[in-house]
Amino acid sequence: MQSIFLTLTLLGLLGLIGALVLYVTAKKFHVDEDPRIEAIADMLPGANCGGCGYKGCRDFAGACVAKGSLDGIFCPVSGADGMAKIAAILGVEAVETTRNIAVLKCNGTCAARPVVFEYDGIRSCRIMDSVAVGTRGCSFGCLGCGDCVAVCKFGALSIDTADGLPKVDTEKCTACGSCVAECPRNLIELRPAGPRDRRVWVACSSRDKGAVARKVCANACIGCGKCAKTCPFGAITIADNLAYIDPEVCKTCGKCINACPTGAIHASFTSLCTESTAQK
Amino acid sequence: MIKTFSKGGIHPAPNKYADRKIKLLPLPTTAYLPLSQHIGAPAEPVVERGEHVGRGQLIAVNTTYISAGLHAPISGTVKGIEPVALANGKPGMAIIISATDEEHRADTAAREAYWRAIEPGHTDRQLSESLSADVIRKAILDAGIVGLGGATFPAHVKLSTKESDKPELLIINGCECEPYLMCDDALMSHYPARIVEGVELMMKAAGVGRAVIAVEDNKPGAIAALKSHIDPAHDISIQVVKTKYPQGGEKQLVEAITGRRIPSGKLPLSVGAIVNNVATAFAIWQCIASGQPLIERVVTVTGDIPESERRNYMVAIGTPLSNLPFTPPQRANIIVGGPMMGHSAICLDAPITKGTSGLTILDAAPRRQPMACVRCGACVEACPMGLEPYLLSTYGRLHMWDEARSAGVADCMECGSCSWSCPSSRPLLEYIKIAKQRSRK
Repeated sequence: MQSIFLTLTLLGLLGLIGALVLYVTAKKFHVDEDPRIEAIADMLPGANCGGCGYKGCRDFAGACVAKGSLDGIFCPVSGADGMAKIAAILGVEAVETTRNIAVLKCNGTCAARPVVFEYDGIRSCRIMDSVAVGTRGCSFGCLGCGDCVAVCKFGALSIDTADGLPKVDTEKCTACGSCVAECPRNLIELRPAGPRDRRVWVACSSRDKGAVARKVCANACIGCGKCAKTCPFGAITIADNLAYIDPEVCKTCGKCINACPTGAIHASFTSLCTESTAQK
Repeated sequence: MIKTFSKGGIHPAPNKYADRKIKLLPLPTTAYLPLSQHIGAPAEPVVERGEHVGRGQLIAVNTTYISAGLHAPISGTVKGIEPVALANGKPGMAIIISATDEEHRADTAAREAYWRAIEPGHTDRQLSESLSADVIRKAILDAGIVGLGGATFPAHVKLSTKESDKPELLIINGCECEPYLMCDDALMSHYPARIVEGVELMMKAAGVGRAVIAVEDNKPGAIAALKSHIDPAHDISIQVVKTKYPQGGEKQLVEAITGRRIPSGKLPLSVGAIVNNVATAFAIWQCIASGQPLIERVVTVTGDIPESERRNYMVAIGTPLSNLPFTPPQRANIIVGGPMMGHSAICLDAPITKGTSGLTILDAAPRRQPMACVRCGACVEACPMGLEPYLLSTYGRLHMWDEARSAGVADCMECGSCSWSCPSSRPLLEYIKIAKQRSRK
């Protein structure tokens, strides 16, 4: 009986001493943290995707508070609504931003670009790219192993089994940019979602001469310049046998889509464009 | 005494069964010369489309210090300067030269006469005495010579040493530890006197008093041939090293010969050594003694092909790979280089470059499926750099670039010993290469 009492007293005393040490340390080394950091961090998605350019969501929250304004700070996942809430917490003006969407600059489907080489290595785009040109023979196009799908934290990408290319789910895409950084061939571009979700882009990255590009892929941009001539707004430029549509200038009329002889220009909508509607 | 390096190393089957004789491969009628055949900035073309060039004429120059010029391997007309597919299928800018039948015949006759004259030859031992170091270095630079062991580092840069570097030893790498390949062995057996003379020239150019030619002990013919041609007037010796992969790795070889380890991220010069390949020594002798720039090299064609086709060829740089005569097996894996460090070729119209040491044609057996790592440590034991390949490859697979960097991924020389030794056939090197690439940023 006595030994039980002794044990309880000893343990109790030890506990008390420990509590005292903890109390003193907590008081002495207390750091005042801005409560707004916690509030902002709670609102953020918590995916730590790095799309904002900071190390993670908490780092981003700290940066928001430290800077005092939202100039040049943007969480693509939270979007404009989320940023408005953060602005409200900080008591500053929200900065206007446009929503971006990831688009794939390749449309070398299985039908357009048949498999010409056998690859028995690891299913990783980066490894396949370091070994050789890829199974489809195009040195610029998508390798189709899905490195981008693996890196997307929001499940916005998936490989389409029919054409072997990644598909972007526009609802889920937050334009965090992880896939852009991951693609070894830089095939993903973040483009403004556009007015009424209308966007037009050149779905090819081949800088090969027209004949060479066409030989490996039926859907390749051959740099013929028809789209540039058709565009009433001068939004299309041709460089290194490849067309590029400037999203700032493009009015998404869709005339170029029909002008392209290889179907390399894609849009988020079905083009019903005629001469008269384009002029409006 | 047979020397070797201390850490790691593996013993793959050597399979060095190609014929040691060097056969002249007929010159191509069209040659493709990529502007980037070496480490450093691409060469700048000095010829234009439609221009006529002679064999050995300078067609592209080096504009920066670490770069090398290019010379026409055949006489003919410049057909264009445009992207051509390299062995991996990716395009690279190249100068295309096309010869008429007449030019082709004249070139072939001149080339045969050239090699006939070299074959017996007289030894001009005074060559290195009569020339100054600057003259030799200038000649090497003008001949566009790069390291022919595979890394293709411009030779003139390696030999231009500063007073403060104090190089004391020139190591000539004749190990050829890569299985299958025999181009250096063929060169050493065939032209030992020329190689020794080339080494003398290099010693003079770099201002080094002592040279060691290192050869693996599985090449007794080459060792005997070199030994009989050593000139007592120069401090050149032959060091037999153990047959172990990667004996020919720069850091491994320096350690084997001098017993000194090169610190991480440093060059052999940091321990007072310069390493060059035997083929480079031969090319240097060629450019100074006969004035021929680097337009030809020895290429081994070997592997799972009929025995009569396993040969060594003297090939003009720019010759398409498909000009090499061989009958591939049904499902072939054609490798440019050896099986350990080479790369699969998917485009046989691609040209032979200064760094192409051979073509290994293997029967493409289905690859074993990778299994889970059993933590056996075979890769750690095999790594000649003392790294932990299983860990580095995991970092590569999980995108942990910072951790890979601090684990020393930059020291990996991509020899492939880890993947070779893995009992679970894990793709260790593939992921390490990615980690190395990504952690550099």
